[in-house]
Amino acid sequence: MSFVSPVFAWLGGALALAVVALHLLAWRRPPTLPLPTARFAPEAPVRTVSRAVRPTDLALLALRVLLIVLVSAALAGPRFSSRAHATGRVIVVDRSHGPQGWASINRAARAAFRPGDAVVLLDSAAREVRNPTLDSIVTTTTSETGSMSAALVVSIRAGVELRRKRDSVEIVVVSPFESDEMDAASAAIRRVWPGTVRTIRVDAPPNETASARRVSVRSGPGDAIAAALALAGATSVGAVRVIRDAITPADTTWAREGGAIVMWPAAAAPEGWQTRAGADTAFAVTVTSAASASHTARRATVVAPFARRVAPPSGRVVARWADGEPAATETALGAGCIRSVAITVPSTGDLALTPAFRLFAEQLARPCIGGGASMPVSDSVLSAILPVSVVPDSVVAGAGADDTRSPSSIPALMLGAAIAAALAELLVRRGAANATA
Amino acid sequence: MRERRTARDEDRQRGRDGGESSRETRGSLLDEIRGVKWPALRSVAGALPGAHHSRLRGAAPELSEYRVYRQGDDPKRIDWKLLARSDRAYIRLADDRSIVSTMLVVDATASMAFPERSLAKWRVACDIVIGLAAVAHTSRDPVGLVIVGGSGMRQLPPRTRRGIVGEVARALDDIVPGGSRPIAPAMAGMQSRMRIAIVSDFLGDAADLRRRAGEVAAAGGEVHAVHVVAEEELDPPSRSILAVDPEDASLARPFVAESRAVYLERFAAWRDELASSWRAEGLSYTFAPASEPASRVVRRVTGAALGGGRPDTASLRSDPR
Repeated sequence: MSFVSPVFAWLGGALALAVVALHLLAWRRPPTLPLPTARFAPEAPVRTVSRAVRPTDLALLALRVLLIVLVSAALAGPRFSSRAHATGRVIVVDRSHGPQGWASINRAARAAFRPGDAVVLLDSAAREVRNPTLDSIVTTTTSETGSMSAALVVSIRAGVELRRKRDSVEIVVVSPFESDEMDAASAAIRRVWPGTVRTIRVDAPPNETASARRVSVRSGPGDAIAAALALAGATSVGAVRVIRDAITPADTTWAREGGAIVMWPAAAAPEGWQTRAGADTAFAVTVTSAASASHTARRATVVAPFARRVAPPSGRVVARWADGEPAATETALGAGCIRSVAITVPSTGDLALTPAFRLFAEQLARPCIGGGASMPVSDSVLSAILPVSVVPDSVVAGAGADDTRSPSSIPALMLGAAIAAALAELLVRRGAANATA
Repeated sequence: MRERRTARDEDRQRGRDGGESSRETRGSLLDEIRGVKWPALRSVAGALPGAHHSRLRGAAPELSEYRVYRQGDDPKRIDWKLLARSDRAYIRLADDRSIVSTMLVVDATASMAFPERSLAKWRVACDIVIGLAAVAHTSRDPVGLVIVGGSGMRQLPPRTRRGIVGEVARALDDIVPGGSRPIAPAMAGMQSRMRIAIVSDFLGDAADLRRRAGEVAAAGGEVHAVHVVAEEELDPPSRSILAVDPEDASLARPFVAESRAVYLERFAAWRDELASSWRAEGLSYTFAPASEPASRVVRRVTGAALGGGRPDTASLRSDPR
């Protein structure tokens, strides 16, 4: 056994010795001895310092020493000696990306594998390979997108089993980590596993800075939307074109190739838009789902009086007025889409310059919801979803529960025992005081 | 008076005396004091013949002097042969010898039961009493005993019969010292012309006792004080203790290294004051440490009688403390 902070162990030992010494040399009532000539001794306080050959109050002494030892050991952080096979691995092999990247995945997985490790294959489903060998990794590939969450669940289960044989277990994920594999549950499932998760990316991560493109806005001079997007510094991984006048055939062609057209008319309603029977005013508008799967969706609401004159064409609603009526819709067009925004922004005033509106416009100027090919997630996103380690507090209670206690639970148990010893010491001390009285 | 004896006390007594060994010790004590005389300090007024000089002059065989016959003298005491030779009437005078009743008063209070384990103080007191009884009995003096204990007094009236020393020994063996009681009242009913020996530690009513003893001495009696002191009292333990007076539990004094010197000084001063006050009353005082053999103490007590009540300076000098 070793300690993380041995100085606390040394301090505890010294303190325990001091307590024993105090029990040997303490203010106490000296032993009573009848002496007929006691009257000739001078009067003095009855309690005096005396040395005892053997300490008294052994129960009290034992409890105090135990209390000190427990607290010091808990603070020192005991670590027990490791067994022969210290670290086990659960290797998650992502084979859901077809034969293109399989060679690199296979090579990385084989390099990470060691005898005794567990192997989890991820394709359309995740499954653990029984008694895996190095050849278990050499398998066929599929092009069906798998779920990283499912792979994490299976690998955690395999990790718990493996932990009964090893001192520590880490999960190694070999994958290109594309966005379509990740979902909102991945990060939560990762936090369930208290150990480390090591990610091995087989392809180069996307350069967000390089691939980011500024949203192009076609508008007249002094346009409020253009100003808001410019202030937001709106960039997008995909191609987005905000049009404030009218859609041209070139725009349509561009959208069919995968671009996102945000039709946000500044004045007259385009063709196909319905004019409302009577103009009214809405006092808030919220963008709900104008984000692709590869980007985190953020709700953005602008509270301001908006004059409603037209309604967007039918399609997938991406923004709604406060009364629930659609304010913006999205219609698929080829590989891209056309997003119709029926929100009239007043040309006067500073509404477009407010932070809420900038966020609102930024969310509307996102790439198409269903469009675009799956892309590798960035390193920052990956480290957020699958961090190497998690702080103990974020681990869900009961995570990785097995018949072996995790090392972090030992100091807690020691502190609990120390509290119990302190209470017992209090009771024993009171009992001794009552007996003396 | 008979003290109640618990099983523990009997065990302690048995272990202390050791049965046969106790008798052997007493036997050796009596052997050591064989031949020791305990003459009275002054002429006694007794009529019964004994070993002590009597104030009366009678017709004892041992001639002391002749005196001219005076009217009223007993004609039987006229020395007729001298009358025939000298034609003068003389009567024979001889020093009469008489007995003196000896009453031994022994302190059996709790302070004498010390040390707790060995009861050395009480054992020495008993041996001294038995030794004095034996010496007095050798001179055909009547010997009596008064034991003053916590629960009362036990008294053996003065007797001259042969087994009186054994009775005294048995009476002492039956006693377990304990309790607290003044000794002076025990002397209230005693004849003024007795010889009284008080064996005690004088930690009780020492002043009253000395006053009463002075009255006895003034009335023609003879009082001997035998002051028994345990070795542990003279040389208390050096470790820290809480000393408690066995006769007064409320009197508890911590005994540490700093207080030891004060204790020794006070105790020595008290002993000196006690001895000088008794001797100032014309009484005999003998210091008897428990470490000293009882036979030697008996010899010193009887020797003090020969010295006519002079201060026992030798015993004081022998006290190393």
